[in-house]
Amino acid sequence: MKRAFTLSVAALSLWVAGAAVVQAGPKVVSGPGADPGCFAPWNDEIKYFQWDKRDGPHKVAVVNGFVGNTWRIQMIQTAKAYVEQPEVAAKIETFKAVSTGTDVAAQLGAIEDFINQGYDAIITIAVSPEGFDRVIRLADRNDVVVVPFDNILDTDKVMMVNEDQLEMGRMYGRWLIEQLGSQKSGKILEVRGLQGNSVDRDRHIGFREVFEPAGDWEIVEVVGNWDDGTAQKVTADAIAVHGKFDAVVVQGGSTGTVRAMLDAGHPMVPIAGEAENGFRKLLAAHSGDGLKGISIGQSPGMVAIAIKAALAALDGNKMPQLISVPIPYAKYDELEEGKNYWPDLTDNFFTVNEFPPCGVNITAREIMAKDAENTQ
Amino acid sequence: MKTRSAMTDLKIRASQNVGLLTAIAIFAVFYIFYNLNHPRGFSTAVLIQNSNEVYALAMVAMAQTLPVLLGGLDLSVGAVMTLVNTLASHVLNGTPFEMFLGFLACVAAGAACGFVNGCVVVYGRLQPIIATLATGAVYIGFALFLRPSPGGDVDGDLSWAMTNDLFEIAATYGFAENGEAAWFKTIAWIPTPLVLLILTAVLIWMPFRRSVTGRTVYAIGSGEGAAYMSGLNIDRAKIAAFTLGGLFAGLGGLYLALQTSSGNADIPQAGAYTLNSIAAVVVGGTSLLGGVGTAVGSIIGALVLRTISFNFRIFEIDPLLQPLIEGFVLLAAVSLGALRVLKVKNTLELFR
Repeated sequence: MKRAFTLSVAALSLWVAGAAVVQAGPKVVSGPGADPGCFAPWNDEIKYFQWDKRDGPHKVAVVNGFVGNTWRIQMIQTAKAYVEQPEVAAKIETFKAVSTGTDVAAQLGAIEDFINQGYDAIITIAVSPEGFDRVIRLADRNDVVVVPFDNILDTDKVMMVNEDQLEMGRMYGRWLIEQLGSQKSGKILEVRGLQGNSVDRDRHIGFREVFEPAGDWEIVEVVGNWDDGTAQKVTADAIAVHGKFDAVVVQGGSTGTVRAMLDAGHPMVPIAGEAENGFRKLLAAHSGDGLKGISIGQSPGMVAIAIKAALAALDGNKMPQLISVPIPYAKYDELEEGKNYWPDLTDNFFTVNEFPPCGVNITAREIMAKDAENTQ
Repeated sequence: MKTRSAMTDLKIRASQNVGLLTAIAIFAVFYIFYNLNHPRGFSTAVLIQNSNEVYALAMVAMAQTLPVLLGGLDLSVGAVMTLVNTLASHVLNGTPFEMFLGFLACVAAGAACGFVNGCVVVYGRLQPIIATLATGAVYIGFALFLRPSPGGDVDGDLSWAMTNDLFEIAATYGFAENGEAAWFKTIAWIPTPLVLLILTAVLIWMPFRRSVTGRTVYAIGSGEGAAYMSGLNIDRAKIAAFTLGGLFAGLGGLYLALQTSSGNADIPQAGAYTLNSIAAVVVGGTSLLGGVGTAVGSIIGALVLRTISFNFRIFEIDPLLQPLIEGFVLLAAVSLGALRVLKVKNTLELFR
């Protein structure tokens, strides 16, 4: 009995021994930060973080939440392809990626686990915009750089990476104005995304803000849920009701929208859409007929920017708290087979994976090679 | 003679709990393996992090055990957890007394949801799976009403103290010489969620199981007709079982609010917890046919579910293969528990 007690006390002290932590975290500094072309601050009020410089190579983990759509799968493959590029691989000792599902406790647990394992940086797509206070506190204590991207947090205590959805909407607007040229009135079709989502709201607001004052427009709004099937159906309905539009803007499911136009024999008009491979294939095929489009995307390749930002932070650089990733786009006359669209790949492959200002360029071939590896 | 009968007794008990014992073995193997390969394995930090991650799922799994013992399924456990989570994000702040009232409100809300489930099943004469599908949707509706978008305000000290070890509680609230007292040292390393989990099992589940109502629940699961003919109060036991289930699920949601310092009416998450709770119950050796199993087994089941994914963080496993591997391990766990089927002499026994 006594012996058992001594043993358990010995075991206790073992558990306790690992518990010591040091208070730390990033210093809040004033800008400008490193490489502003790539790590652009969201706006002028953004504060800057600086962590102590640490020698590499570093341990980096990606903690994804939901997995099961093309975008997320491509994101994970992109992350793996990026860390294998020679100049990145040299800075990384270990790279690990896990998906926790839509379970905030599991995601928090995974992040905390990587903190405890002594990882230097943890990249994550947050399952919930709230609830990460505890892991942020732990990350700061252990000097770990946590970088949420895409679905980011409602906090300013952590460095985050995203694309500016408002700006994306404005780009739609500017493109259509440019293409319509002298025409200052007409009927416009706007195919919106998933309702109640901040991305849908922001792109819509951005588009209206730029486009509405530019002329006397009748804008017809339909909801396509960022889905090819839905977008195709609602576009077909809208064409049936309204006859002819002078321009089209579609937030997602762009391939479906163009197909509906082709099916209905709708004249090819200027269009602004997402960055699906199928949309770009159609743009390439029909731009001569007047389908003058711009293809702008929320890129799964953002994960690479998040990793790059984490590595830059570990090098002791000043980093903006909220980084606005340059929005990747291609105009119809810039499309090049095998460069920014791939006739031999599926329609729902997300084409935008290059970020020239960041020197990040992951080719489709690299990403698809990852796909092949996983199925072997 | 006496020792022999004790041995046979143990043997019978073991053979009755093959599923549970398999689950414990699988958990032990995976968890020790994980700790051995973790750079900070067997440390408090890792234990805290693991028990935080397990608590809500373990509570929801315990909640699911009761309807399953009755021979039904409760599809609202995740919804009750979510509802209480959103409620807690409103009430767990202010003065200590206000927080205590908030805590009581959360517990009561969970139990009330379970009570409603029980009444719908008993007086509405509906199958639990259908009744709770409907009530679950209602609870999610309330949760969305309470928290249309994620957020909330949970007392920071409380949140921090409850999601760490006992030392942090003492240090935060200043007892046992801020956790430095010599007598306190021996227990200071224990994670609070682990203590809460054990307390819930010992103070709520075990007395319930031993009570007449608790035994009636088992009797109903084994044979409702026989239980009725034995003069047991069936309706009361069913309502009590669902109420207790609601209480457990509510505690899970309460803890989730402490852990995240916020509330979120996350519908996919509610669904995921409901499904995982059923998996945990089955892995923990409880029969979906009813009448056999324990809530403690479901805790082990939840531990198994979580421990599998702990290992993904240690080993090089392709993220896209992880769900596949998790599925295989679960299938193996459930199959091992069902191996006794091969030993059955009369296959008719399988149909009882």
